[in-house]
Amino acid sequence: MNRSKPHHILAILCLLLALLPLAACDRNDGNDRADTGGAAGPAFLQVGEFAINRISPERTEVRDGAGRILVLIPREAPIPADCVPSQVIRVPVRRVAAYGYFDIAVLRALGVLEQTLVGVTAPAKRWHIPEIKQGMESGRITFLGDAASIDYERLKQSEPELVLTWDPSIIPLLDALHIPAVVTTTPTAMCLNTRMRFVQFLAPFFLKEKEAAAYFTRIETALGDIRARTAGLNPQPKVMWGDIYEKRVMVEPGNAWVGELVGLAQSDYQFKDVFGTACIEITLERFLYSGQDADIFFTYRTEEMGATSKEALAKLNPLIKDIAPLKRGKVYAPLPHYNQSADRLDEILTEISAILHPEAYPGYRLHYFVELPDTEPAAKERS
Amino acid sequence: MNRALFLSWRFLGSINLTVGLCLALTVNLIWGYFSLNRRTPLFTPLNDMGLIPWMQTYGVHNLAATGWFFLLMILLALLAGNTFVCTTNRVVQLLTAGSDGKGAGHRKWLALKLAPHIMHYGLIVILVGYLVSYLCTNVLTGRTLVPGFPLSLPGASGQVTLLAFEPEYYQGQRLAFWRNEVIAARARLLLDDGTAKQEAILSCTRPVRFQGYSLHLRNFAPKSQGGMKMKTRVDLYVRKDPGVALYLAGIALFTLGLALYVYEWVTHREATTE
Repeated sequence: MNRSKPHHILAILCLLLALLPLAACDRNDGNDRADTGGAAGPAFLQVGEFAINRISPERTEVRDGAGRILVLIPREAPIPADCVPSQVIRVPVRRVAAYGYFDIAVLRALGVLEQTLVGVTAPAKRWHIPEIKQGMESGRITFLGDAASIDYERLKQSEPELVLTWDPSIIPLLDALHIPAVVTTTPTAMCLNTRMRFVQFLAPFFLKEKEAAAYFTRIETALGDIRARTAGLNPQPKVMWGDIYEKRVMVEPGNAWVGELVGLAQSDYQFKDVFGTACIEITLERFLYSGQDADIFFTYRTEEMGATSKEALAKLNPLIKDIAPLKRGKVYAPLPHYNQSADRLDEILTEISAILHPEAYPGYRLHYFVELPDTEPAAKERS
Repeated sequence: MNRALFLSWRFLGSINLTVGLCLALTVNLIWGYFSLNRRTPLFTPLNDMGLIPWMQTYGVHNLAATGWFFLLMILLALLAGNTFVCTTNRVVQLLTAGSDGKGAGHRKWLALKLAPHIMHYGLIVILVGYLVSYLCTNVLTGRTLVPGFPLSLPGASGQVTLLAFEPEYYQGQRLAFWRNEVIAARARLLLDDGTAKQEAILSCTRPVRFQGYSLHLRNFAPKSQGGMKMKTRVDLYVRKDPGVALYLAGIALFTLGLALYVYEWVTHREATTE
């Protein structure tokens, strides 16, 4: 081996030092925007595990939650030779079937819900969005059956050009029906940034990039307001979000948007060390341990599911009765329309912040959550 | 030209370069550790879209988090070059010195002396194999198998069908919360190449090879007995990876070198203790 001057080592170390400042560049949690590509939006946009890559004005490639690459082309363009037809989507999409409440709320945020939605997987009585109630009454929107057992005949009759789903198991069947599908969930929970930007992922399907940008700006403004109002507030409440069911304990992990929001609003999320999918299962012991000194508990259960009071929750599951929020803290349950209101994400974020720090929001009235009383209202009246 | 080659060869053969690269790699990997923290979605597509498209999209648009990776590739390329030149220099020396001797004993001595260098060449082949993998692999993402719907592979006449999903569930008592959860996913597949049919078992650590493709288990459902009723499905990564043969060859070469090295070490120890 030849001996050479030690300046080689110095050169390499200098190169490293020169590149290190990159590590200190502005970070935005994996949802970075590339150079702008004109009115249509950035040339490459990553939204958590989703991505949009604008190859040319006639071709945009998107990566969905299952890692599938779908190609968006103008309605009149021929199908590219290098693509499987079931993965080519003509835009703007005119007829959509959707599984998730969140996806549908995003369609509403884009302003395309009324014109495009033709199929849903929840019956009319479960909807709180007026456009869907009316659409189902008029027959424009079809109930396709429960998400676990879709009626494919009805799906075919509703002639969707696109299905938004969380269930990859239907894709082989949809391929057989020549209906393209986009998987809109991912193995890891959506972080706050992904939740805010998901609208930008769906926008190119409907050529509604401007509406998506406006929505994102609205949410960003709300977050800025939350930061400003809660900066330096003390004490920081300890928050837990989840529930105990008959056999399982489910919580929102620290990487989920609620976990991040709690931290951003000067509060302490009890499951911030838990990482993984949304509504993740943890051990009962961990849940009870975190509940020992929590101040605020957000339950998944709605009033319909029995969350009418702390007493009712304790009756549903006696194991939960000893956690601090039930004994001396506060418990909040979502109102029925909460899950269908992602188009009002700015209001939801503000409301959660107002719950965590009521002193920063004097006179705030809740619209998406309800604080559970200690005992059943009826029992209270009797006493 | 010759002088430039000579200077490059001398630069790459420097021990100082080796030390510098090892230090630089250490610092770089520490940087990578912090950059990777909870940013896996940025790097996951690298597994299926290939190195160049990844660099052009995720890579260059997230330099704060991916800069360390670009640098890692430069450092690894330099390390491979450095290893190759140093090893070749030494091998040439050994072969020159060994050209005088004859006989089986001499050949054995030479083979044993070459052992560490065979390992070094093996390492380079492994690195090149990985590079070929990331540059040339054709990956079909998001392929899902459900019972009754066969999967066709592009450019191949055959079909893959999910016959049954037969996972192993945890039935122990010690981890109560894990009871009835899948601890070993196992799918029984039917591989039909148009002329013959055969069954194969696919699991997390056991890919199935079929018509030049390898099928890897990516995800599956259901994940437990009882609980939410999920439809049976098996998500696959389907890969056609020309790098596999190279890194398997590299591993074989490395193992050969290691075996010779251990043999020499054992025989040398026995000789010195006697």
